[in-house]
Amino acid sequence: MNKVIIGLLAIVPLIAQDARQIVEESQRRGRANSQRYEGVLEVVGADSKVTKKSWQSVRLGSYGNSKAVIRFTAPAEVKGVALLVVNHPDRSSDQWMWTPAIGRDRRIALQDRSTRFFGTDFSFEDLEERDAQQYEYKLSGEEAVAGAPCWRIEARPRESKTSQYTLSRIWIRKDNYVPAQYENFIKDQPVRRLEQKDIQNVQGIWTARTLEMTDLRRKSRTILRLEKLEYNVPVKEDEFTVQALRREQ
Amino acid sequence: MSVLLLLCAAAAYAQNLSQRGFLETTGFFFPQAASDDSAHAVGSALFRYEAFYKLTNLRFAAGIDARTDTHQQTSRELDGLWWDRTRQRPPLSIRRFSATYTRGRLTVEAGKQLIRWGKADVLTPTDRFAPRDFLNVVDSEFLPITAARINYGTQANTVELVFSPRLTPSRVPLLNQRWAVLPAGVPVHELEPDFPGGPQFGARWNHIGGAAEYSLSFYNGYDHLPLFRIEPNYSQLRADVQRYYPQMRMYGGDAAVPVGPVTLKGEAAYFTSTNPQADDYVLWVLQVERQAGEWSFVGGYAGQAITANRHSLGFSPVRGFAESIVAHAGYTIDVNRSLAFETVVRQNGDGVYAKAEYSQAFGAHWRATAGAALLRGDPKDFLGQYRLNSHAILTLRYSF
Repeated sequence: MNKVIIGLLAIVPLIAQDARQIVEESQRRGRANSQRYEGVLEVVGADSKVTKKSWQSVRLGSYGNSKAVIRFTAPAEVKGVALLVVNHPDRSSDQWMWTPAIGRDRRIALQDRSTRFFGTDFSFEDLEERDAQQYEYKLSGEEAVAGAPCWRIEARPRESKTSQYTLSRIWIRKDNYVPAQYENFIKDQPVRRLEQKDIQNVQGIWTARTLEMTDLRRKSRTILRLEKLEYNVPVKEDEFTVQALRREQ
Repeated sequence: MSVLLLLCAAAAYAQNLSQRGFLETTGFFFPQAASDDSAHAVGSALFRYEAFYKLTNLRFAAGIDARTDTHQQTSRELDGLWWDRTRQRPPLSIRRFSATYTRGRLTVEAGKQLIRWGKADVLTPTDRFAPRDFLNVVDSEFLPITAARINYGTQANTVELVFSPRLTPSRVPLLNQRWAVLPAGVPVHELEPDFPGGPQFGARWNHIGGAAEYSLSFYNGYDHLPLFRIEPNYSQLRADVQRYYPQMRMYGGDAAVPVGPVTLKGEAAYFTSTNPQADDYVLWVLQVERQAGEWSFVGGYAGQAITANRHSLGFSPVRGFAESIVAHAGYTIDVNRSLAFETVVRQNGDGVYAKAEYSQAFGAHWRATAGAALLRGDPKDFLGQYRLNSHAILTLRYSF
């Protein structure tokens, strides 16, 4: 009987949690000093034709105060193309792209972030981290995703945040606080859906190893598999500058 | 045990080594014969290989180009392997061979490398360490230079110093081919060029702010585009032409600022020279940039103001493209297919260049590109003089 009461008491705070607390807890559990992985991408067009790409991703820091470099390793013609993302806690990220074929770096302007990233279904904005402080949240219900019970939360960007999306619905799993699905809207029309699957515990952090982004307007999707994933790897701050993008080729 | 060690060493080596390259064949098809060049088709092949090796604070880059063509644009002799000053393209040339040392905020790169300055796309007046191969004036490629480059700074503020011991000139059109338009009825003989012996030096400060980026730059050296000395040779009944590269000093700046739905980019430079034949002038570019959906667009105006006109004869596509409206648009059809359009229209309407290109990738390695370029205008105009050079292009590239 006592056990039941203790169990009920443990559940009460969860029920009482508001949407922001859930998102913050989800981000807290996903925090690491750094992350590195090799991404294997399959872009499946509306005609079901599959194109394969791969990139290496290195990140320093976590939500709101992190820097990341994504560098293509295949196909051969885009090998070396790199994107630097500098995330800020109080505003939208800064992004620069390095194209070795022309030897130039280019800042990706905020208004251009809705463009697809090198033929994938991820837009430039989708590659930045969503810090909890930049959104207003509302718990809109509970729903299962792939059999896992989830909280359904609505996120709207605050004024300081420039976003192509006017609304995002996030499904966060109740068992491990990993976001299972995002659905992004522009003016109440769903435009992109990100499904996070194959959730595994990697060095104590529950992580989705397969991300599937669907462009609902184009009817194409990109499947990103995170291979050789490691957390808390040694990386240097000076690897995350525009100069480093150029230097690393 | 030793096998295991060898495997570990091989794995470490592989992690630090990266490489890329391509083999590309291109066909140019000209419907009209030019006055000094009746060829309607030119084929070329280029093999490029680049390798990079990384140690803790050191990085090494090496790259080589091997090329040939059907129109004697590439020399049949093995010269110009390092110092790229030959009239024709060298059949074998070192594109990269440099070492880069990094420690904290300091990066030093020395050797053969590509250096790009400026932010504009339609014309880059401050891009002084970037000579180009202008054997085809409207389809040029950047040439590497031999230089030492020191970069010091943080993400927000960077100072860059460049020292190049010797000028690498831009490659100008071959006199017996369609991109060199010579006066009718005057035999021309080209003398050995007069290359300057001195070094070049440049400095650039770049600031990256929350919203805007801007730079100031300075260059002291030589123009990589030539002026011509022309002497009548009465005994041979011809004109002797010699290229020379005047001293040049440049004060420049560039900026990129998001304004509403577009990014506004500007770049300007003032050029002056101690050479009494070289003009003093200002080149400037103002362009807007926007990406939306599957479209990308860059459009702007390139202007020129001559502050001292010495009326010398030279070859300068950089100035030739000035006083024009320039635009580029790209459309991504899907992950493998894209379209590109670009145009240059002289403000007085005397010259126009327009190009459309379709590109498609096949599998992981192949890409085919087909395009057509239209050139029209007044023969006295820089663009108009190439009015017989409208062409179709077909390129097949295997990347690895």
